[in-house]
Amino acid sequence: MSVAVKKRTRIRETRKDRVFNALNLIFWLAVLFIVLYPLWLILIASVSDPDAVLQAKVLLWPVDFSLMGYEAVFQYQELWGSYLNSIFYTVVGSALSVVVSLAAAYALSRRFAGKKLVNLAITFTMFFSGGLIPIFLNVRDLGLYNTRTIMILMNLVSVWNLMVARTYIQTSIPNELYEAAVMDGADHFTYFFRCVLPLSGTIVAVLSVYYGVARWNDYFTGLVMLRDRKLYPLQLVLREILTALTSTGSSDTFFAAYADNLGGLQEALRKAEVAKYCCIVVSTVPAVLLYVFMQKYFVKGVMIGSLKG
Amino acid sequence: MSQSVTTGRRGGTLGRRAGLALRRDWQLWVLMLPALAFFVVFCYFPMYGVQIAFRDYKAAFGITGSQWVGLKYFEKFFSSYYCGRMFANTFLLNLYGLIFGFPIPILLAILLNQLNHRRFKGFAQTAIYVPHFISTVVLAGMIYLFFSPTNGIINHLITAGGGKSIYFIMEPGWFRPLFIGSEIWQNAGWNTILYIATLTSIDPQLYEAATIDGATRWNKIVHIDIPHLIPIAVMMLILNCGSLLSSNTDKALLLQTSGNMAKSDILGVYVYNVGIAASKAQYSYASAIGLCLNVINFVIIMLVNAVSRRMSEISLF
Repeated sequence: MSVAVKKRTRIRETRKDRVFNALNLIFWLAVLFIVLYPLWLILIASVSDPDAVLQAKVLLWPVDFSLMGYEAVFQYQELWGSYLNSIFYTVVGSALSVVVSLAAAYALSRRFAGKKLVNLAITFTMFFSGGLIPIFLNVRDLGLYNTRTIMILMNLVSVWNLMVARTYIQTSIPNELYEAAVMDGADHFTYFFRCVLPLSGTIVAVLSVYYGVARWNDYFTGLVMLRDRKLYPLQLVLREILTALTSTGSSDTFFAAYADNLGGLQEALRKAEVAKYCCIVVSTVPAVLLYVFMQKYFVKGVMIGSLKG
Repeated sequence: MSQSVTTGRRGGTLGRRAGLALRRDWQLWVLMLPALAFFVVFCYFPMYGVQIAFRDYKAAFGITGSQWVGLKYFEKFFSSYYCGRMFANTFLLNLYGLIFGFPIPILLAILLNQLNHRRFKGFAQTAIYVPHFISTVVLAGMIYLFFSPTNGIINHLITAGGGKSIYFIMEPGWFRPLFIGSEIWQNAGWNTILYIATLTSIDPQLYEAATIDGATRWNKIVHIDIPHLIPIAVMMLILNCGSLLSSNTDKALLLQTSGNMAKSDILGVYVYNVGIAASKAQYSYASAIGLCLNVINFVIIMLVNAVSRRMSEISLF
């Protein structure tokens, strides 16, 4: 009954609107094709036969399904070493980043003498920096060049994330709670650990995914701060595999180094091309999965940030 | 402390008041300490170290021990042959990026908002955010693979259509299209978030009233959506103008090849090449270039912020 009433009261779309809807649908199908097809292409190429990939016969569906590329990638120990490094840098680094940011964000959400100065000093670093070379020399003088420590400490706190966390604490935790806690004799430590932290699940998730993705995807810090290949993060090894030009490139030599395991040099080179697609898949899946599962937190982060930029 | 300024209201000296405040707030300072230490060590130490731009830096003498040479390296940079080219490349890359990249998120947000089917809309929204989570290295790798002259799918299509294969990554003329195109592919969807949020905050009664008055979807976009989006779009545009001379160094570095230098030679990459990658790194020279850039960018942002504050009463700080 109610459905029928609802239907009757709704104004029917005009013909112009139906044309508009159809065009809009076509537009979105085109957009989705442009966005998703390159990703799909990588996925299907990674499980296709190398010859079919080299001749660009893989267009819509895997051709001559084979896991050759993945076998080659699994042979490539340096990639997995760097994979472990990246997991370490990402997990330890992000955890530290979240703790440090949240503590500072809480402090900045309260009133205290000297707050303006602290805010100014922090914001200033967003707009001005010493520049790449002084940063590099500073790290070298501190004795942190080419260490795991610098991969954790570099970019430890992002001003943007700090502001997002502060805004969240200011807007979502009522000040009455603080007043009540103080009445009951709580100091800042007690209030922060017993009241703020338990209420900060959302912002902890937001910060974790933001810091986590940024660290997982970063190659530049390693490029500047590391010399020892054993310490390289995944993205730095990927860079050598993916963006070396084939004629002079190192990617072929990487895989050629494993020629014995891959069934001879010719075979290794043949597999190298498909192996590139497989490398993309194994390196990108963690970040994209994180996004898919934590979707709402990513969007929330942007929303909180835009409240008070 | 005895000669500190006496402040009227409470009668205590500045020193005493600071002491009192510290006794009251010391726990807040403890909570802030790790973050503050980070900013001091990794942001403010390098700002002190930037003086090597005015010195002849030798590692053995350290920062303050190296000989003072004044503006030598700045003069060297501004009189160098490639200086003008690098400024032009940096500026144009950003300018074209802004012209082509700016309107697309707005368009996407408006049209996404018009999708009827809830689940399709949700799927589309989720999908257009995905490329944002791909790393710069992988993005560059995709460009190398798809645009490869021998095996790339794009060149296979070109040759299949009777055209001649193009070595995209080596052609200076293709650097900007590749750079900006991939930038749009990666971030246009993500950048819709702010606009979508603005659109969802519009009062639905406006749309209902418009429908009753016989407005088509197109009318509603023109008369409701766009006027609501203009303030935030203007703000974003102004803010984006603040980064017209900034460099997306990590991406440009990946897409730079010996062939496309004429267009890919931008300031940030040059600083890296001269100061870090070179076998005989020129620290002082590279620092001088970096300092120039940072000062220029800082001034631009301050100007842009002042303009924005006057025009739209919206500012960064």
